[in-house]
Amino acid sequence: MSNFILEIKGLSHSYNKDDLSLDNIDLNILSGEKVAILGPSGCGKSTLLRLIAGLEKPKNGSIKINGQEVSRKKILVPPEKRNVGLVVQEKALFPHLKVNENIGFGIRKRREKDKIISGLLDLFKITNLENKYPHEISGGEQQRVALARSLAPNPQLLMLDEPFNALDKDLKDILYKEVSEVFLKRGSTILLVTHDSIEAEIMTNRQIRMDKGQFL
Amino acid sequence: MLLVLGVSFLVIILGTTTAWIVSNYSFIGKSTFEWALILPLSIPPYILAYTFTGLFDPFGDANNLMRTLFNLQENSVIFPNVRNIYGAIIVFSFTLYPYVYLVSRTSFINQSASMKEAGRILGLNEFQVFYKLALPLIRPAAIGGLMLVIMETLSDFGAVDHFAIQTFTTGIFRTWYGLYDFQTAMQLASLLLLTIGIFYMVERKSRGGKIYTSNNSTFSPILEKNLRGWKALIAFIVCFVPIFIGFILPIIELCIWTYEVNLEFFNYKFLINSLNTFTLSITAGVICAALALLINFSIRFKPGLLVKKFSALLSIGYAVPGLILAVGMVQLLVYLDTLVLSTFNLVLTGSLFGLLLAYIIKTYALANSSIESAYERISYSLDDSSQLLGSTSWNLLGKVHIPLLKTGILTSVLLVMSDVVKELPATLILRPFNFETLAVSAYIYASEERMLQAAAPAVVIVLVGLIPIIFLSKMIRSSGPVEKGE
Repeated sequence: MSNFILEIKGLSHSYNKDDLSLDNIDLNILSGEKVAILGPSGCGKSTLLRLIAGLEKPKNGSIKINGQEVSRKKILVPPEKRNVGLVVQEKALFPHLKVNENIGFGIRKRREKDKIISGLLDLFKITNLENKYPHEISGGEQQRVALARSLAPNPQLLMLDEPFNALDKDLKDILYKEVSEVFLKRGSTILLVTHDSIEAEIMTNRQIRMDKGQFL
Repeated sequence: MLLVLGVSFLVIILGTTTAWIVSNYSFIGKSTFEWALILPLSIPPYILAYTFTGLFDPFGDANNLMRTLFNLQENSVIFPNVRNIYGAIIVFSFTLYPYVYLVSRTSFINQSASMKEAGRILGLNEFQVFYKLALPLIRPAAIGGLMLVIMETLSDFGAVDHFAIQTFTTGIFRTWYGLYDFQTAMQLASLLLLTIGIFYMVERKSRGGKIYTSNNSTFSPILEKNLRGWKALIAFIVCFVPIFIGFILPIIELCIWTYEVNLEFFNYKFLINSLNTFTLSITAGVICAALALLINFSIRFKPGLLVKKFSALLSIGYAVPGLILAVGMVQLLVYLDTLVLSTFNLVLTGSLFGLLLAYIIKTYALANSSIESAYERISYSLDDSSQLLGSTSWNLLGKVHIPLLKTGILTSVLLVMSDVVKELPATLILRPFNFETLAVSAYIYASEERMLQAAAPAVVIVLVGLIPIIFLSKMIRSSGPVEKGE
């Protein structure tokens, strides 16, 4: 079996009949690797993440996650069975749940739930926020919670869709450093999409440029 | 209590499931279901109760049809008896679920797609996203809708009386009119008001300090999923059944009755009752709209706490059951007659004045909400310009606001009219001697089991009840941040 966490072959996608939002994409990512896809808005990078997560249906091509075919003609494994994480700029925290409940939402192992939550609270330095609701914490703290939540079920691949876009520069610099350390400690496999080359340089060790639905 | 629990359970299931389906999926008939699901609101529970007994009684039309179709013996009964608590639960649930449907749909279409996607990625399947994530998030809205349903159920008189079920309202009515015990009736009415107050408090408390809406600056609209095959069929059936039971079935039965009496109901009595109803409802509608217009204009022109509080106080009247309002009104009118107007010998009690006052208190909130929202669309800069051009406040109201508020004013008059036409318990108690409206006449015919004669007033009530539904349907068709997806 190959050591690739993600294997994409000939992936194409379109939102309408005339235009291809993704055109014949090939991509392999090794376990523990940190990869960034750099490109302008509308180039198809977020669509690629949505296809990997199972939130969109491809037109052509195949996607394998940890050796298992999750997307091909007539095969479409639903998002909840792909064991991937996705953090978006919007954060999408559940407003009716406290920070610790948000983080614990995707954990299926009940016995280890509390331990995992406290470990992640500790790792992201947000232990003091565990009983607060999302609206009671700042934007940077919300992003930490969103990252902790996505790591809680221990996904094989964590995808980040411009996660720090809405934050100010100083906070971004702090988070780049802190979050990169967390990923390094956990040995997470990361696929980041961004238009910010500095962010890509700091957080990943391989960068791929993309434009008009194709890798350059 | 069993009635309230049963109705609550069923309306939550009907209202939220249908709202979830039409706001998240695309299938044949979906755009029709979106507005058609509120049609049962045009049928008051007591009319659905009358048509249900007409259909499902041992010799009702549904049983007769079955016997004819399957060549059964004359004493065989297919459909179970509906004159019991279970029948009442079905009647209330299928006429009142649109309250929950309306608020749930609005909440579902305003939920960000990314939040649901986060749920999917964190391990939930589509059904789990509905009940573990989307449903808890719309809880305040759904409970708000449910509160309206509970209040309507507790305050109904016509349906429970027809099914001979002992509730607060039938108790109050019988204590008063059967036993002539006004004091006990008042006590029962207070107890009913207290029960409604408790439901309201429990709901407020259960919300706690939680926030149910996301404060993210970006919002990703729902991506409707196309359903095909058996999944589309199930979605169609789930949406069709409530409309069939709550609207199509009673309309069919009313049509059968109308056909059977061969339009003989167009007699003098029917015309007089229609005229009474029309006069009362239009008077109440115009007074409510004028009052709401003046109050909203005062709030806008010279914002003051007193007028705002007065408007808020009047709006509470909508939540008070008609029967309680009537009981309170009688007490007030008797007091005024005996102490203030004693020389005129009961001039207010049993007069149209009391009845109109009750209608205004009960329906002011409807008029206010439509005029208030119409006012919100008028820019304050128009007021400033008008004043700079030398307009007085009355000029501003007459020459600028009223022409711009025409649709809002008309809507508020129609909303009040349709509610007044349906109102039964308050009319029954407060009407002058020998004065009948369509609702009262339908009630009297139905209580005498003269269902065919009840058809005419019932048909008119349903037709008038359709007016606000048409407005709502228009709003529904033009609402919703939804995108088409795969």
